[in-house]
Amino acid sequence: MLLPRFEYHQPRDLSEALEVLGDLGPGARVLAGGTDLLVDLKTGDASAEHLVAVDRLAELKDLDSAGGSVEIGPGVTASLLASRPRALAGLSALAQAAATLGSPQIRNRATLGGNLCSARAAGDLIPPLLVYGATLVVQSSRGARQVSLDDFLLGGGKTVMEPGEMLSGIMLDALPPMSGNAFMKLGVRRAMEIARVSAATSLTLAGDGETIARAKVALGAVGPRALLSPKAEEVLLGQKAGEELFATAGEAAVADASPRTCHEFKCEVVAVLTRRCLMQSWAEARGAAS
Amino acid sequence: MKKRHISLSVNGVAHELLVDPNRTLTQMLREDLGLTGTKHGCGIGDCGCCTVIMDGETVNSCLVLAAQAAGSEILTIEGLAQGNQLHPIQQSFVDKGAIQCGFCTPGMILSAKALLEQNPAPSEEEIRLGLSGNLCRCTGYQKIVEAVSDAAGKMKGGAS
Repeated sequence: MLLPRFEYHQPRDLSEALEVLGDLGPGARVLAGGTDLLVDLKTGDASAEHLVAVDRLAELKDLDSAGGSVEIGPGVTASLLASRPRALAGLSALAQAAATLGSPQIRNRATLGGNLCSARAAGDLIPPLLVYGATLVVQSSRGARQVSLDDFLLGGGKTVMEPGEMLSGIMLDALPPMSGNAFMKLGVRRAMEIARVSAATSLTLAGDGETIARAKVALGAVGPRALLSPKAEEVLLGQKAGEELFATAGEAAVADASPRTCHEFKCEVVAVLTRRCLMQSWAEARGAAS
Repeated sequence: MKKRHISLSVNGVAHELLVDPNRTLTQMLREDLGLTGTKHGCGIGDCGCCTVIMDGETVNSCLVLAAQAAGSEILTIEGLAQGNQLHPIQQSFVDKGAIQCGFCTPGMILSAKALLEQNPAPSEEEIRLGLSGNLCRCTGYQKIVEAVSDAAGKMKGGAS
């Protein structure tokens, strides 16, 4: 399969990249790992007059955790995330999702930022970042703005980014003590898997080690975009953790999935994956408590 | 399209080339450098036939632009043997009958090399996961897994 014609730009740093993107306007696309964009260009699902390659920009590959907040550069690869780097300690759901994304070859190129900007309904790295409440830094040559990931995703592969803008940072609060989180997806084999359904959850236990002080449930591939489930969260908050409660939360999550894409089989899977993810999050939270 | 001037190392040999922006690393290796050991399969990163090792990591060369490989060190299947001496993984593939039509073999062997560098004594499950980005259209997976396991045993002595 052949690539269409385009011009190629390789800026030396972020500010040059933003300048180039600003000058080129709507015909330009940002090229990171290329595992989505180059495929889409080959199949005709995307078009671009200009590609601006950012895969070599060191500024986009920083990992930093200090003072309870975590910053992840959008240029970090899925392989790096799957290796559980020290700066991302505790972000189990993200590491688990990264470890099951594509294949080893894909993970070596695919980036976190690319996964977010492709904004696919089944994008593996999106549900974990939704449960972490991630904030994205969207930058252009005119300045930067911050958008929550929940507001960033418009569905159907669309985001709030305008021509000339690119994703330059991902920020989140480190999980409090006595927290656990997990990611699971259902597919047909254990590689090159596009999730049929995916789920990510996080739980934080209160001082008594039993009551749920904070809970988040996110689902992938059950609607035009990955989404948080407020109904599951409502079931969990303030209750004593346990498998029965998690099963009820799983049923509640089904109600937040989009009815058009969440047909009968998927609804069952949403309930089961949510329950299993919560069990795993709970085990991790208790491990952190002891 | 404005051509890009790139320099890179392939199997330890320095090359300078002028490439079109839309030329993939697969095309550059096969058509510009004549290294046809790297196969062009699906072209969309599913089959792994075009796998090469770029700066120490396996990549699908069909999803890397030649321009993006500028400054990199690339290892293709042609770079594994030392003269007539096959690499231990290649020898194991021959010994164990892990080659049927041979189209997936270069990619399989390079994925196996990257796997064994990270994990010199993988379990069968770890081998299968390590090769999960490479499809064999003859479906001869069992012997491929046996060959990688055999190579891991032979390479324990430090052969690379």
